[in-house]
Amino acid sequence: MSKKRFTFLAVLLIAALLFAACGGGDAEMAEEPAAPAQEEQAADETEEVAAEEEEEKEEAPAAEEEEAAAMSERAGAWVDEVIAVEEPSAAAAVTRMDLAEIDAYAFSISDAEVYATVQDMDSLTYSNSFGVYAELTFNPAGPVFDGTGKLNPFAVPRIREAMNYLVDRDFISQEIYGGLASPRYMAITNAFPDYARLVDIVRQLELEYAHNPDKAAEIINEEMAALGAEMVDGVWNYEDEPVEVIFLIRTEDERKEIGDYVATMLEDLGFSVVRDYKTASEASPIWIGTDPNEGQFHIYTGGWITTAISRDQAGNFDFFYTNRGLPFPLWQAYTPSEEFDAMSEKLDLRDFTTMEERRELFGDVLALSMQDSVRVWLVNQLGFTAYRDDVSVSTDLAGGLNGARLWPYTLRRAGEEGGTLTIAMPSMLPEPWNPVAGTNWIYDTMLIRATADVGSMPDPFTGLQWPQRIERAEVTVKDGLPVGSTHDWVELTFAEQIDVPEDAWLDWDAVEQQFVTVGDLHPDGLTANIKSVVYYPGDLSELTWHDGSPLSLADVVLSMITTFDLAKEESAVFDEAQVPSLNNFQSHFRGYRIAQTSPLVIEYYSDQYTLDAELNVANFFPGTPWHTMAVGLLAEAAGDLAFSSDKADANEIEWMSYIAGPSIEILADHLESGATDGHIPYVSTLGDYISAAEADVRWSNLSAWYADKGHFWVGNGPFYLEEAFTTEKTVQLLRVADFPDASSKWEGFDTPMIAEVAVDGPARVASGDEVTFEVMIDFGGDAYAIDDIDEVKYLVFDALGELALTGAAEAVEDGLWQITLSAEDTAGLESGANKLEVAVAPLRVSIPTFSSLEFVTTN
Amino acid sequence: MRDISLSSLLFTLSSPLKGSSMTDAALPLQPDAAAVERPKSQSTLTRVVQYTGLRMIAMFITILIGVYLTIIIANMGGHVDNIRRGYIREMVAISTGQSDEFRNMTAQERREHVDKLVALQEKRMGLDQPFLLRSFRFLWGAMILDLGWADNMSSDSGSRQVRNIILERLPATLLLFSTSFLMLFFVGIFVALYLSRNYGSRLDRVIIGLAPTSAAPSWFYGLFFILLFAALLGWFPFGGLVSAPPPDTVTGYALSVLNHMVLPVIAIFFSAIFLGIYGQRTFFLIFSNEDYVDMARAKGLSDRVVERRYIMRPTLPTIVTGLALSIIGLWFGSIVLETIFNWPGLGRLFYLATNIFETSVIVGSTVIYAYLLGITVFFLDIVYALLDPRVKVGGSPGGQV
Repeated sequence: MSKKRFTFLAVLLIAALLFAACGGGDAEMAEEPAAPAQEEQAADETEEVAAEEEEEKEEAPAAEEEEAAAMSERAGAWVDEVIAVEEPSAAAAVTRMDLAEIDAYAFSISDAEVYATVQDMDSLTYSNSFGVYAELTFNPAGPVFDGTGKLNPFAVPRIREAMNYLVDRDFISQEIYGGLASPRYMAITNAFPDYARLVDIVRQLELEYAHNPDKAAEIINEEMAALGAEMVDGVWNYEDEPVEVIFLIRTEDERKEIGDYVATMLEDLGFSVVRDYKTASEASPIWIGTDPNEGQFHIYTGGWITTAISRDQAGNFDFFYTNRGLPFPLWQAYTPSEEFDAMSEKLDLRDFTTMEERRELFGDVLALSMQDSVRVWLVNQLGFTAYRDDVSVSTDLAGGLNGARLWPYTLRRAGEEGGTLTIAMPSMLPEPWNPVAGTNWIYDTMLIRATADVGSMPDPFTGLQWPQRIERAEVTVKDGLPVGSTHDWVELTFAEQIDVPEDAWLDWDAVEQQFVTVGDLHPDGLTANIKSVVYYPGDLSELTWHDGSPLSLADVVLSMITTFDLAKEESAVFDEAQVPSLNNFQSHFRGYRIAQTSPLVIEYYSDQYTLDAELNVANFFPGTPWHTMAVGLLAEAAGDLAFSSDKADANEIEWMSYIAGPSIEILADHLESGATDGHIPYVSTLGDYISAAEADVRWSNLSAWYADKGHFWVGNGPFYLEEAFTTEKTVQLLRVADFPDASSKWEGFDTPMIAEVAVDGPARVASGDEVTFEVMIDFGGDAYAIDDIDEVKYLVFDALGELALTGAAEAVEDGLWQITLSAEDTAGLESGANKLEVAVAPLRVSIPTFSSLEFVTTN
Repeated sequence: MRDISLSSLLFTLSSPLKGSSMTDAALPLQPDAAAVERPKSQSTLTRVVQYTGLRMIAMFITILIGVYLTIIIANMGGHVDNIRRGYIREMVAISTGQSDEFRNMTAQERREHVDKLVALQEKRMGLDQPFLLRSFRFLWGAMILDLGWADNMSSDSGSRQVRNIILERLPATLLLFSTSFLMLFFVGIFVALYLSRNYGSRLDRVIIGLAPTSAAPSWFYGLFFILLFAALLGWFPFGGLVSAPPPDTVTGYALSVLNHMVLPVIAIFFSAIFLGIYGQRTFFLIFSNEDYVDMARAKGLSDRVVERRYIMRPTLPTIVTGLALSIIGLWFGSIVLETIFNWPGLGRLFYLATNIFETSVIVGSTVIYAYLLGITVFFLDIVYALLDPRVKVGGSPGGQV
């Protein structure tokens, strides 16, 4: 072979290797878990995207606007068809989106390189999501482990507390996470409402626990000496042996780098660190499975996820820091101070009557949690959902696209009506779909949500609820409970005592197949903490299921029955796995009552409440019709299939699937028998709501549906399931043409109104002079309405870095707020550079926005 | 070596070979002493039955041991139980810990609730029984091919039966890899034969020069081809089994599958073809230089006859063995290649099963592989006897020469 040919082949081979090397890296990226971001940066970036979209909107020609106006007559979903496909690799998904093969990727990507790629692509845009966070979990047993006789320095709270000073959270955010994270100091997430409510307290603590390795070393040295350890040649020794720290380091994501970073810091302080690299499955038997006293680990790189906006994080302290959190050995080793223990329990049980009282309690608990520090919080990660720039869709601030309940109602190609959109997701259809205990796989749940309507819709930016199939609601709360309301569709009132009517249903008699009333069980009466009354609009039968059957009250009542019946031992469909859920439900449930049938009005009584009236509205709007439920119930009662995997495994029968597999033929048999018999489930009760003629129509409709579609998944959402191709990993959803709502109903929920804030004022202030600063708040160039702002707080840090002043700004007009520091205030400031930090908490999104301004005080 | 008694056995066992040229005088000629020395009390049938029986028993014991070892290894000697317990606790911690639903429970109620959830899951996974006891139950189920039920995995259609989990992925893997292997096999054989006839030609040198390219695995070519033909040129899809949504018609579906198969098949083909040709060509060249081939040529037989009878024939057992073992090797698919092409095959399934410690699927697939291997080896013995005139059964120690 000639020399030229060899050269050509060599070049070809090298080129191939280079291509493959690039490709291989991308493939690995896809498997890396979520990543994070700097909050303010994230907000800015989101704002940039929003601003770009706004500019594009402005540039749209008038003709398009007219066209859009004409389109507003459309009902139901904006698109005619959604194709969901599987794409495990985020990097490949981004490439495919760029090539317009797919339109959106329903996964919260956290890889900094992919993030940069998407930002560089003109064809793509993205939305950010929060809710993943990393921490260091300490083993608090000791100070000498029973199992090994070795010293555990982290049994000492002060050493744990000192770890807060040791770690540089900014370094972790910027260098390890590449900017896709923001520092986190406490057990509350900085994208959720509690952070904004407590911003002055939190910022003060963040300042107090800022990176200070010298202080960390000083405390640790002092405490180690107190434990009897000695520093020998730069290494801590205890009883003539080096003090060994076993560090369980997770390897699947950035926590590996975090582990290495912290391990190096500890080694610099004189500890002998054993870096024990583990995957999740290797680590969990140790950190959560062993007795901490065995001494199998000292520190673990923990990680947590929240898939929905949490509007009340007060329970986090009881969960993360006390032995009430979980009955597992690690939690049982927690020994918080009596004060911390009592206060965190009080906070968890909502043992307060006003929000101000809660705030004070919260502030104390935050400070105590930092002193306890069985967990040292490190970062809030930022994920992002990428989609083509011509696609518009609502994404959840915590759950991303796959966590957004509104996605099927808002998904569209911008300015267009109809057409097909393809959504890819990392994996799909791993488990059966059934309406009782089927898959809870997050991506399948996303698809299921498109097929089922809801009574109230969670706001993807605040976590509050909006009415969807509810006309209005009344919430009555017992006096002294700290519940407030935001939206006017809920009427909030307070009462000294809430009596549950004696005809309200409280339990279920599985033998008689009838409800048991409050009067039966509590002849002396029963009270509740909260009562919600929901008014449904018009006639339910105007709404239809996908198979054409009209909705009826029986659909609602059946969902109430199955809540109880599946967990009753006497029932033919008893499932042991349902018992804990029912027990939990009954611990706070105090009854429901159908107050009126047309229009439907349902009362609900409970002892469980949340801080927001909107979240206390009980929603009984059904997502599954009684006749498809009945087919499953027949199969379950016959022992052919089981709704839950637990029961299926125990009885060695198939886990029920309404969409594919061996279940289908079995369900078809029961459909045939049900149709032949005109079966009415729980006839003793539902017989009052279902006539024989209606039953026949339902069975007939379902038979026709099954004959046409080959599955039993019948819902009432804006899309129906045309077919699930289980091996091919494809799901085809088609639009329901006669959906009752206009497509434009949820317009405006595609972009979170994260405030853009700027502070202006004098750069130099004479001590003793009154001074005014202006806070400009807008979104996409439009002034942020005063009514949409919850509060604007300010903090002044003096020249020594101490928090000198806090207060609230005053509204001047839309988009403009004012902060006035009195002469007395400025007189109290040290001479030098001060920092004015402003926190804006809007009502339209749960994420506060921060801005700051430096000014100098002179004498 | 020629064995007259074996020839008679072959005629008994294999009618298609009756009248064939296997007793051709041109085969290596040696006197058949074995037939003369064989004890007359043992008939051919008895020896075959005895030999077959012993082989089956040996294979069964081997499979039994192999399967039990698999059960022990897949369960890490019982440590997987600890992993599962840890996993259950972690899941319960995440699902209940911060949920508002549990806020109104007292600490004691919450503890009882969590304990109950954990106990339910442990019972569901059989963790309430000792591993040793379960290991023998697994073994019994495996040996009678009752593969049982998976704990954490479902088949694509939603079934929890291990049998369904595996069988639903089998067609995709078979389709992809059997197509590739058959292409490799036939193209390899014919090109190798051609090159052995044209040793030293320009094409021969080119292909030999390309042989080192097989050092790169199929997924390497897969990535390369995806970049080139999917991302840059857009000629073929990135991956998957079929377009989305799958075409309604059978023809449309088949064409779509074929379209999706092109890149992975070519990737497998390219990753192995040149080295395969090189190996077989060398193999044929070695056999081409045997004395009996020279003798055949000296007798004036045509090249075609020499190639077919004197070169191909003695190499067939090796080729058939390679083919048979390759075919059952398809059973495990290819984890990386299937992942890259998002191909719903067994490779990805086993990878997932391994990741989540779904030992029932790991053991189930190993059991089937063990049986397939055992049966293949067993039948290969017979095939050798059919193909290779030097092989005989019984009569001499080892039964095989």
